[in-house]
Amino acid sequence: MNKSLRFLIVLVPIIIFTFFANVLLIEEDEKFSKFNTKNFPLFELNDLNGIPVKYEYLDGIKLVNVWASWCITCLVEHPFLTKLSNANIQIVGLNYKDSNNKASAWLQKHGNPYILSIYDPRGDLAFDLGVTGAPESYLVIDNQVVAHIQGEMTPKKWETIFHPLIKKARNET
Amino acid sequence: MIGEISHFLSLSAVVILSLILIFNFFFFFAKIHPNQLSLSIRLFNQACWLVFISFAMYVYLAINDDFSIAYIASHSNSQLPIFYKVSSIWSAHEGSMFLWIVFLTAWSIFFINSLDDSHSLKKTTLLMVSLIILGFLLFLLLTSNPFERVLPFGAIEGADINPVLQDPALVIHPPMLYLGYVGFVISFSYITAYLFHGNFELEWEKDIKNWSLVAWIFLTIGITLGSWWAYYELGWGGYWFWDPVENVALMPWLAATAFMHSLYASSKSSVLKTWTMFLGILIFALSLFGAFIVRSGIIDSVHSFANDPQRGLYLLIFSGLITLLALGVFAYRIPSLNASKFVVSGSKESFLSMNNILMVTSIFSIFLGVTYPLIIEAINGEKVSIGPPYYNTIFAPLILITAIFIMASVDSLWQRSKPLKSYVYKTFFPVILTILFTYFVWHITETFSILSYIGIFSGSLILFTYLLRVLNNFFYKKFINKGSAVAHIGLGLLFLAVSLNSILSYEKNLNLAPGESIFVNESIKEFSFDDIKVLKASNHDVISVEVSLLQDGKNIFLNPQKRKYATRGQITTESSIYASILKDTYLTIGDQLENGSWTFALKINYFIKWIWFSASLMVMGMLITIIKKKAT
Repeated sequence: MNKSLRFLIVLVPIIIFTFFANVLLIEEDEKFSKFNTKNFPLFELNDLNGIPVKYEYLDGIKLVNVWASWCITCLVEHPFLTKLSNANIQIVGLNYKDSNNKASAWLQKHGNPYILSIYDPRGDLAFDLGVTGAPESYLVIDNQVVAHIQGEMTPKKWETIFHPLIKKARNET
Repeated sequence: MIGEISHFLSLSAVVILSLILIFNFFFFFAKIHPNQLSLSIRLFNQACWLVFISFAMYVYLAINDDFSIAYIASHSNSQLPIFYKVSSIWSAHEGSMFLWIVFLTAWSIFFINSLDDSHSLKKTTLLMVSLIILGFLLFLLLTSNPFERVLPFGAIEGADINPVLQDPALVIHPPMLYLGYVGFVISFSYITAYLFHGNFELEWEKDIKNWSLVAWIFLTIGITLGSWWAYYELGWGGYWFWDPVENVALMPWLAATAFMHSLYASSKSSVLKTWTMFLGILIFALSLFGAFIVRSGIIDSVHSFANDPQRGLYLLIFSGLITLLALGVFAYRIPSLNASKFVVSGSKESFLSMNNILMVTSIFSIFLGVTYPLIIEAINGEKVSIGPPYYNTIFAPLILITAIFIMASVDSLWQRSKPLKSYVYKTFFPVILTILFTYFVWHITETFSILSYIGIFSGSLILFTYLLRVLNNFFYKKFINKGSAVAHIGLGLLFLAVSLNSILSYEKNLNLAPGESIFVNESIKEFSFDDIKVLKASNHDVISVEVSLLQDGKNIFLNPQKRKYATRGQITTESSIYASILKDTYLTIGDQLENGSWTFALKINYFIKWIWFSASLMVMGMLITIIKKKAT
């Protein structure tokens, strides 16, 4: 009995650790492939210049990026977004809980990678979209949200999560 | 610049700790040379001081608003008062991990230097704590670096601390909890060192006893403060939610409580040694597990930090290795530990070992509750959630059994059993009083819920057992373990307060326009909505409501608020509470309806105060135990 008890004392933690390691690794891979595609919510909002944004803007392949002038991480991911924009990726900004003046000043100071920025000071659209904070990025293909990441958009996340989906979509059309 | 120096000091600590480990690894099998140990101790002390100074500099940076440091920029703000600037350090992952390490280092340096240089376990314990500190420092610097700068342009203004965390409780709740968590690194390292050496003649209990008691006190205060904070300040409307993060704090607490009892038994009669060692290892292993759960984001919870699998993986591997190392040595040594005597059934040891079994069962049940949703999700992808009903159902019978064993064990003797008759005689009065009291409660409240009544029965059983015993021993001037009596009376009161709270409390949702007043129930004859104001504060707007109540013949004024914070746009609800000894009247405002009236949530919570009071009794009991030990 003693021998098997000793064996168990070591074995049980090993099983627990392996289990958690698996959950962690699977979560990383599957969280995105399991993402349930949904329609981009309907909205009636203006862009930062006060021009109403049409829903049709979200046709084709668009990267929707939630940002704000108060958000530090947005500044961190800003150079990468600029790079993407230079590589002909169309990025729609969702200016989140910000003021028009500050947001415009921010874009002027740091450069504007967005084809337009939807102005959402109360976070209405963000709420429908399920935004938890800034920055967050959504991949929208023909008005369908197909992928979502929270936090900074890094080259790694782009290559592993968004880029394959974009390639697939381009091949289909 | 100061940020870089602070960063550099932490890095130097890493280098020195690695040096200690490498150096000792090569010479481990050589004979102990006195200089080798004193060199290690010296290096160790220096590494610890480097960590302290590094943290002090970081605090300085936070106070002086260095927003070029990303972490400070995203969690602090120049408008904040100084103590929030400091506490903003532990308001998120990186900084709180830093604080965790500082406490880990503090406990270790105190303990190592309290041991005599000739103590045979000093070196191995030192190596063990060095390894643990090193592992966590590397975790901090590699995966969650709080020193990272935003370059080339620093932020002009910080993003502000989350309004929910702008509360004095933040200043004190996490530090207390961490002090408790990491305090058990001492029993963990020391026991591992002891098992590793295999010199079982050594009297080891006294070396770690008081350290563990103090850590237990911190852990208890930390958990209680968290619960208090959630109730009074955050306005969650309750004191305990069986949230995964509360659960992972409760598991080490239960293990620590079992450990304390077991340590008491093994210091008196050398049985239960195996149990004690196992529990001593388990506490810290569970603390590590808790750190993993909170910081990997594997489970969604109000407390969890941002999800980062990389961090989770590092923590999992590191804490897994440390735990396996300790448990491996333990498993290897079991045969040589088991040589002790058998436990006589009916003796104090036998009841204490029952206590261990019950505590471990509770820990396992909570562990199952925390991991079950993950297991199910891994198997068939379904999301299930496990809530209070699971825990209440599991804990009610466990509490009842515990109460019965506590009652029986009060007058038991070490190593001997007593005749059954004396038990019947001793337990007669408590049982009768308990039955009468339970009937009395039922008579007054006229509500029935089996689980709550099990709680009331168990609570009053423990309470009456100890109260009668205190009275009895007072009149016959017999010895009584004061610390234990106070702590157990606290436990009895806790069970009682929690159960009475669950059957008596109720909630009403009301709907009123300004100037209106209504009849709520027999106790609250009048509820009037007197006034509503919109005010501007420095960093938020306030909707402030004045309500007056005619409750039990008394006039009460309540002033619940809603705040909208400018920087983050977040809305918080400030509840207003009127507290009396028996019950709290708890009011929050909801939303405005289309017809201009407002919704209110009115909660009458019974015996809330008694919960905090009983927790403080437990802490007091433990303090008495420590002080008495020092005195003798």
